[in-house]
Amino acid sequence: MSVELSKKGLVLTATGLAAGYDGRAIVSGITVEATPGKVVSIVGPNGSGKSTLLKSLVGVVKVLDGSVKVGDTDITNMAPEDVAKIGVGYVPQIDDVFPPLSVKENLEIGGYLLKRHEVNERIEAVLEFFPKLKAMMTRKAGKLSGGERKMLAMGRVLMLSPSVLVLDEPTANLAPIVATQLLEEYIRGFANFGSTVLLVEQRAKAALRISDWTYVLGGGRVVLEGPPQDLAQNPIFVESFLGGGAKAHPPKD
Amino acid sequence: MSSFGFGLITAAVLAIATVGFTMQFAVTNVLNLAYGSIMINSAFVAYYVNQHGVTAWVALLGGVATGAIASWLLNRFIYTPFQRRNLAPITVVIVSLGVDLVGTFGLQAIVGGGYVSFNQSQGHEYHILGMLLSGLQLVIFGICAVVLVGIHWLLKYTRLGKAMRATSANRNLARNSGVKTQFIISTTWIISGALCGLAGTVFAMNAGVFEATSAQLYIVLLLAAMFLGGPGEPYGAMFGAVTIGLATEVSAAYINPEYKDVVAFLVLIAMLTFRPFGIFGSEKTN
Ligand SMILES: Nc1ncnc2c1ncn2[C@@H]1O[C@H](COP(=O)(O)OP(=O)(O)OP(=O)(O)O)[C@@H](O)[C@H]1O
Ligand SMILES: [Mg+2]
Repeated sequence: MSVELSKKGLVLTATGLAAGYDGRAIVSGITVEATPGKVVSIVGPNGSGKSTLLKSLVGVVKVLDGSVKVGDTDITNMAPEDVAKIGVGYVPQIDDVFPPLSVKENLEIGGYLLKRHEVNERIEAVLEFFPKLKAMMTRKAGKLSGGERKMLAMGRVLMLSPSVLVLDEPTANLAPIVATQLLEEYIRGFANFGSTVLLVEQRAKAALRISDWTYVLGGGRVVLEGPPQDLAQNPIFVESFLGGGAKAHPPKD
Repeated sequence: MSSFGFGLITAAVLAIATVGFTMQFAVTNVLNLAYGSIMINSAFVAYYVNQHGVTAWVALLGGVATGAIASWLLNRFIYTPFQRRNLAPITVVIVSLGVDLVGTFGLQAIVGGGYVSFNQSQGHEYHILGMLLSGLQLVIFGICAVVLVGIHWLLKYTRLGKAMRATSANRNLARNSGVKTQFIISTTWIISGALCGLAGTVFAMNAGVFEATSAQLYIVLLLAAMFLGGPGEPYGAMFGAVTIGLATEVSAAYINPEYKDVVAFLVLIAMLTFRPFGIFGSEKTN
């Protein structure tokens, strides 16, 4: 698999972060770090603030306290369009495509910051990666199936060859086989290539399998963190996320 | 049959106006009820330029510029500050209604209540497909057709147009993709404002005589045409405008011209009742 779609990564760090809506913090005291070549995952129950945290990293939700840095650049409360320019690609959990636009137009908007002549080249590269999209270039994104739509959402974000990928539940609604492929081949692939991947994943087991480090969010705070092997041994983690007794597969490498 | 001809011109003008109106709504999230007052103010600027010896067709550009500038200012200094305060969306709608009244009656206070008309020849009369059309009407129709094709090209084939549609569909995702949506929104006000000014001026030319409140009920036609085509759908707007334009003029010929706006209003109510997302709109647009 060719993975030259992303760039060598930059370190993404959030320090003492608090963020939320209308001035009210949903997450607070968050310190997380994602580094090049690694998949860092965030797991936690529904409503624990995973999406809010990711949104605050990319400028969609207001940071109330603390800071966010990419490489040497402080991106705390930077406008989302500037965060994109710096090389952080973000795929939201919902509303991850432009429904009335065709698949091709979605990719073109993904490549909005590219020079005019680069856009089509880039689309070709993304299509090499997601060949299934080739047959649906003129279809409206709103008419795609859940899986096709996720593929497009990933394709859109890859248009700018991001160095940091921030992905909010990219496998939601995907058939198990497709989800596994997306995580183990593609997303792990980006990290193996040297990009930085920060991933929110509902399926704790699958997350542990591809992660180098995992944060557990609960009630808007990091309640647990560590390498997957350790978490898989942690009785509290096993009890709440792996459905008791179930044993997580150790990561491959 | 001449009512059909007149209806065709009315429809073409309404199409221009509705496309601008629906673009504003889709991209900027403002339902700008002051649209009609900007139309008539633009027409009056063009009229005064025309009065100073400038050919009406050149004066038309003054109307276009007025619409563009007034709309941009309106957004920059009135709508945006209100939107920033995170009030309920209806607030801005109410504000725009206020702006409409100020715009219309402010204009009336300045220009007086009398009817005026452009210093412009009606041109020859032409029989086309059984319709009787004046040269003036043909030119207006031509301008509208060219502009509609231009808008289609803008939205479909240009980077700006695609960014406008992306901003309309999902503003946050557009920003995450690097689109400076604030700039796109300002530009949309200028383009849709230019359409508003153009529509206002050719509306006045087509009417022959006009005064400060001539476009006061135009908003009903705009809303009806927009809802018919689906709110925020530029192509739907063209279809809605043609339908409403023809329906109102033809009904005016057969029933009573007084009921023109009533017909539009009935269509609007029917649409809101049965298909609030328009004929082309999808349920999600709502
Ligand atoms: N736009 C919003 N305005 C106000 N509160 C919000 C908003 N979005 C989310 N919240 C609240 O913030 C809290 C955290 O939501 P968030 O979406 O971050 O959780 P999550 O961990 O991503 O959940 P899930 O696993 O269901 O995606 C929830 O209580 C939610 O109700
Ligand atoms: Mg979430």
